[in-house]
Amino acid sequence: MTVAAWGSVPAEAHGPIGVPLVDLLDRVLATGVVVSGDLVIAIAEVPLVRLSLHALLSSVNERVAAPWTDSGPL
Amino acid sequence: MTAHQSTLTYVFAVCGPPGPEAEALGGLSGVAPPAPVRTLAAGPLTAVVQDVPAADYAEEALRERLSDRAELERCARAHHEVITASMAAAPTVPLPLATLYRGEERAREALRAREESLLTALGRITGRVEWGVKVYALAGQPAAAASSPGAAAASGRAYLEQLRSRQRGREERQGAALRAAERVDTVVRGLAVAARRLRPHGAEVTGPRRTHVLNAAYLVDRGRERQLRAALASLRRDDASVEIELSGPWAPYSFADGGTAP
Repeated sequence: MTVAAWGSVPAEAHGPIGVPLVDLLDRVLATGVVVSGDLVIAIAEVPLVRLSLHALLSSVNERVAAPWTDSGPL
Repeated sequence: MTAHQSTLTYVFAVCGPPGPEAEALGGLSGVAPPAPVRTLAAGPLTAVVQDVPAADYAEEALRERLSDRAELERCARAHHEVITASMAAAPTVPLPLATLYRGEERAREALRAREESLLTALGRITGRVEWGVKVYALAGQPAAAASSPGAAAASGRAYLEQLRSRQRGREERQGAALRAAERVDTVVRGLAVAARRLRPHGAEVTGPRRTHVLNAAYLVDRGRERQLRAALASLRRDDASVEIELSGPWAPYSFADGGTAP
């Protein structure tokens, strides 16, 4: 079983440097709680990470949950 | 964590039997080279793991590490690289970044405790991949010359009328973009076995020219890529007022714990 190369259609290719970081963070941070680790780094709750991601994602809003929760305005 | 413990077990992903062959993980550096990325058997499940120095990955150290933009990116990309390799070799349920245990035995226990739901997740994602679909509303035309401050000063009433008309224009464009996003979502859901909405990105990511109105992930059978691309091409032809982006195929990050039925 193989996976087609990323962005196999040129218009949607992301180049050899890999996937856009913002899309990657949407996923590696958002993955549902399948198992919980011993060290639960609740990333959304870490103020410093929030700040750093704020600059990056600019979608952290104090009034709503972290940007990787399963929510949207629609 | 006890003070004398020198390594922690970082778990990247969980695979079904028989799990990826050792060679599939051979060349990977993982998050903490030079320790090898390897498999760990846990009953019917196989975890993809790496021993990481406790000093670098204990809670405080990890907090600091993930607060650093460059280091966060390095970890995220290393995590993703391992998951991508694992997924190419066996059905793979990705775990979140920095899922850490105080040793192999603790990792095994944790997987055993969730064995049933992990097997269910594996059943759900086997033979499928995740695709990301994003829809952006394009910014409206620049304001016409008539709305310049000089013209506005001519009459208070005309000025207010201009403001209202601009506001109406914005609302109409916004409404149209949201409806377009719903159409895209409906079409792609029709091809998917599960869907999940992610939070749209802000202007710092998308730029001032467009507004992110849909950020969604779909779990799709591997054989349907062509259909998916054709459907999006057709949606793009139908509506030039929005931009539609496809990304993938991703490992099924957004469906490790379910997602909603389409």
